[in-house]
Amino acid sequence: MVRLGDLHPTEAEHILARTAAMPTIEIDEWRTPRPLAESTVAIVSTAGFHRRDDPPFTPGAVDFRLVPHGVDWGDMVLSHISANFDRSGLAEDPNIAFPLDRLDDLAATGEIAGVSRWHYSFMGALPAPQMLEQAGSEVGRLLAADDVDVALLVPI
Amino acid sequence: MPFPLGRPLGVADDPAFQLDVVRGALGMLATATEPTIEDHPVEAPTEGPEVWACPLNLAVDTDDSLAGRVRAEVARLRPWALETRRARGRTLFGASGAGPDDVDAVVEALLAVAESGDVESPPPGDVEWAHPMPLLVRHLVDDLRGVIHEALASQPGPSPDHDELSEWIFGGTAFGELLLTLGDHLTAASDAAPMAGLVRGFVIPEGHYRGLSNFEGIPGGYRRD
Repeated sequence: MVRLGDLHPTEAEHILARTAAMPTIEIDEWRTPRPLAESTVAIVSTAGFHRRDDPPFTPGAVDFRLVPHGVDWGDMVLSHISANFDRSGLAEDPNIAFPLDRLDDLAATGEIAGVSRWHYSFMGALPAPQMLEQAGSEVGRLLAADDVDVALLVPI
Repeated sequence: MPFPLGRPLGVADDPAFQLDVVRGALGMLATATEPTIEDHPVEAPTEGPEVWACPLNLAVDTDDSLAGRVRAEVARLRPWALETRRARGRTLFGASGAGPDDVDAVVEALLAVAESGDVESPPPGDVEWAHPMPLLVRHLVDDLRGVIHEALASQPGPSPDHDELSEWIFGGTAFGELLLTLGDHLTAASDAAPMAGLVRGFVIPEGHYRGLSNFEGIPGGYRRD
């Protein structure tokens, strides 16, 4: 995540207030994951990235869009609602926030076993993280059913 | 990943840097024995002069109306934006519902809203917009800002970061004046239509609306938290 000192002071103050209001999450028993070289990896992003003909995100959206492995980057647009982050990096290179090509690189060298056929795109900027609990659980079940071992969470 | 908003992997078009970031995150799975937070230890490289300046002269001497100046700015920027699109073979332009070649339609839609002050009715034109009003205003603005990103990416010299670009836009461009005008209309409409006030906060980056914060001074009293 961005450093607070790199944000506009009003934004930093707002994020600190949100952080203080975040719910406590009980931690399950630690489970040692499979070795990376045996793991299939999927991306879960909050950049608001989606295909051009997908429904755009709307304020307060708690749903997600599917991004297939091998997606044509030219088919992607961004409907994230915030005016406070830089889109120019994503326009130049989508991997800066949705590193599908980097996962392919790691799969090619055997550092991971494979790349999921589906990846998941949310829009962040929600007032409370618990609003995403239902959709988050749903994505977790979808990933498990698809034999994905690791979700790489990429905040914007 | 201690990088600016919008750049969680640090550097565009630098696969080696991005791979280090991904390896660092995934590598924690091999070493952690409990939920763990670690900072990526490498800063993203920076380059360019401390104060970025647009090399284009956007001033016009033919039509000094807001609409005339906005059209002239876009006309000067557009050839450079097209160069970037040719080089990349793609564009993010179109979240409003506009097709990649509908730049003029987006400009005219924003000018129509600015001129009429009507933030509830869809602007005239043939495009099938992807959003209702007033939310459409936010995505029209973002599409046009994307054209500016594309234009500056092709010009010689470094490209501005988000803050530098916002300082430039609101420091005297016609596009910045257009956004402030739209912000005024959205604020005025927010008593009857609270969504309008909300959209103002999504149109103008923090710190650039007439001395107010993003969601401050809205008659409906909206609080984003």
